[in-house]
Amino acid sequence: MTPNKLLTRVFLAFTLASSLLLFHNSQAQEAAQQDTTVTEGSNDEQPAAQGADSGLPTDADRISEGQSLFNANCKTCHKVKEKLVGPALQGVYDRAPSIDWIVDFVHNSSKVIASGDDYANNLYQEYNQTQMTAFPTLSKDQIINILGYIKQEAEKAPEVVAPTEGAGTAVQGAGDGVPTEYLNAIMIGLVIVLVLILVVLILITTVLRKYLNQQKDLDEEDREIVNASFRLDAALKSKPFLFLVVFITTAIVFKVVINNLYAVGVQQGYAPKQPIAFSHKLHAGENDIDCNYCHTGVRISKNANIPSPNICMNCHSMIKNVAGQSGVSPEIQKIYDAIENDRPIEWVRIHNLPDLAYFNHSQHVEVGGIECQTCHGEVQEMEVVRQHSLLTMGWCIDCHRKTDVNTKGNEYYDNLVELHEEQSNEALKVEDIGGLECSKCHY
Amino acid sequence: MNIYKHIKFASLFAVGAALTACGAGGENQGLEYAPNMYHSVAYEPLKQITDESAGNMAELLDSNGDNHGEYYNSNPLNPYRMTMRVPPANVVPRSDKGYLPYRIPKDSLDLAARTLKSPLPKTDDVLAGGKLLYDRYCDHCHGGSGQADGPVADKYPGVANLTGAAYQNISEGHIFHVITWGKGLMQPHGSQVKPEDRWKIARYVKKLQNQ
Repeated sequence: MTPNKLLTRVFLAFTLASSLLLFHNSQAQEAAQQDTTVTEGSNDEQPAAQGADSGLPTDADRISEGQSLFNANCKTCHKVKEKLVGPALQGVYDRAPSIDWIVDFVHNSSKVIASGDDYANNLYQEYNQTQMTAFPTLSKDQIINILGYIKQEAEKAPEVVAPTEGAGTAVQGAGDGVPTEYLNAIMIGLVIVLVLILVVLILITTVLRKYLNQQKDLDEEDREIVNASFRLDAALKSKPFLFLVVFITTAIVFKVVINNLYAVGVQQGYAPKQPIAFSHKLHAGENDIDCNYCHTGVRISKNANIPSPNICMNCHSMIKNVAGQSGVSPEIQKIYDAIENDRPIEWVRIHNLPDLAYFNHSQHVEVGGIECQTCHGEVQEMEVVRQHSLLTMGWCIDCHRKTDVNTKGNEYYDNLVELHEEQSNEALKVEDIGGLECSKCHY
Repeated sequence: MNIYKHIKFASLFAVGAALTACGAGGENQGLEYAPNMYHSVAYEPLKQITDESAGNMAELLDSNGDNHGEYYNSNPLNPYRMTMRVPPANVVPRSDKGYLPYRIPKDSLDLAARTLKSPLPKTDDVLAGGKLLYDRYCDHCHGGSGQADGPVADKYPGVANLTGAAYQNISEGHIFHVITWGKGLMQPHGSQVKPEDRWKIARYVKKLQNQ
């Protein structure tokens, strides 16, 4: 027994901001819940009293202009049917005092609020005194076009979600199912063909034997060969067979022993289960979030860093489940729990470089310009991260021998490159600037 | 003789079979040979061994009477025995360029937008650096062209179209303040992006808007 099965744990320190964040988020959530009910209610309470919407455009040109204006200017804070930063805009043409009032409010909301307008002030208070950005450049016509677009959107039946969801699962099913099914079919087909061939061969030999036995002009020797029966025990004891068996077994055992001896101390392929089922494939792959966004230390420090939950909350304050599912995902809930209880998330460390070797991320990534994937593999395609590289000394040295130093535009290397070119025809490699010195990594 | 030969074979097989357990994979970390120098004695960030019996065997060679295994590496004085220390109250980080933490509070966007000036020179280097940083920190929501067309913008509500009319005239100070503290549904990014980098991003966003 050697004491080597250790799980070394990664601990995250919380930034001081996390509690602040939490407070802010819970407030925003509450506000969101309250306000959706309020806006829904107000739609019913104020039925087209002003009749101001009669002037809204219905022709396609003006509505498409309104759509592009809405996407460019309003989408950030408003949705048609749901509350976002600002209220849901459906029915705004009915509930606001007048179209002119809307135009004034869009042009400069703080002026309308300051004028003592009741409706504007109520709105201002209802939304925690958040002021709407002023859009003085939008003309009255443009604003009316936007309203036309909103009205058209509001009257559309809510049917958008279902088909995309169905398509998503269909694609997923196809992606998983087809290749293995094909593979199975091919294998079964092959087996059937082989069995058929065997049967045919046996048939041929029996027919041949029968035919040869009927021949009268066969001499004794040939007749013996034709009627010789296959004796298993004799074949097993024959020298060539024994030699073959011994040779193959020894070769296999030898290979297994050597392979496994080389695997001692190498953790390539280690893929432990993490406390949160975080998928790099989803985050770095599908959503194309840069590695640097979460691993903030990678260019400035020895360690790449594991993000603290406040970085998770940059998105997960709003994104509470996998796309298309309602409620809070149990995995995302773990982030909220960690923040609420001020408790670190104990990620399991995967890359355990021995303490006797020094490695610095910023030196390789920022200075050397090496891609993350060079050592960590295609992390953006990994559901569960595993150790991609050997992380042995031979692996390090190999790369230091092969990699050119990026000397372009770096005065520091000018003299070195000159001296190197006097002695060698090859480009300046990492080994030429001390990449193989023992004390670079071991001290 | 024959039996002896069989035993030799069997033992070879046994060695082979025993060795297959050495390779790592899945939950298995694999076998380490004499890992006496593998585990740091000093506290390391992002690493902690809470098992007090870890390295008992190595302890036999080098007994120092500390009553736990040689590899045990946790700080009992910190919360959750973390090796990383939470900074004392009221200390502030200071960057190598001398930037002190940003002190304008979140609700004073107007003040920041009016008074803050970028300390960076108007050079192409700053702009190129800004593009790199924008692609790292902003791209997945705001999109490469700033039109809120990044892949995350489909899932996250309220991503600002930086080229929209409302943002055309904002100052670099405004952008700096918003990156630091967030605005609307955007969360604060001050803990991730260094002040100097925020100014670079602000410069690049202004360039995106003027295209």
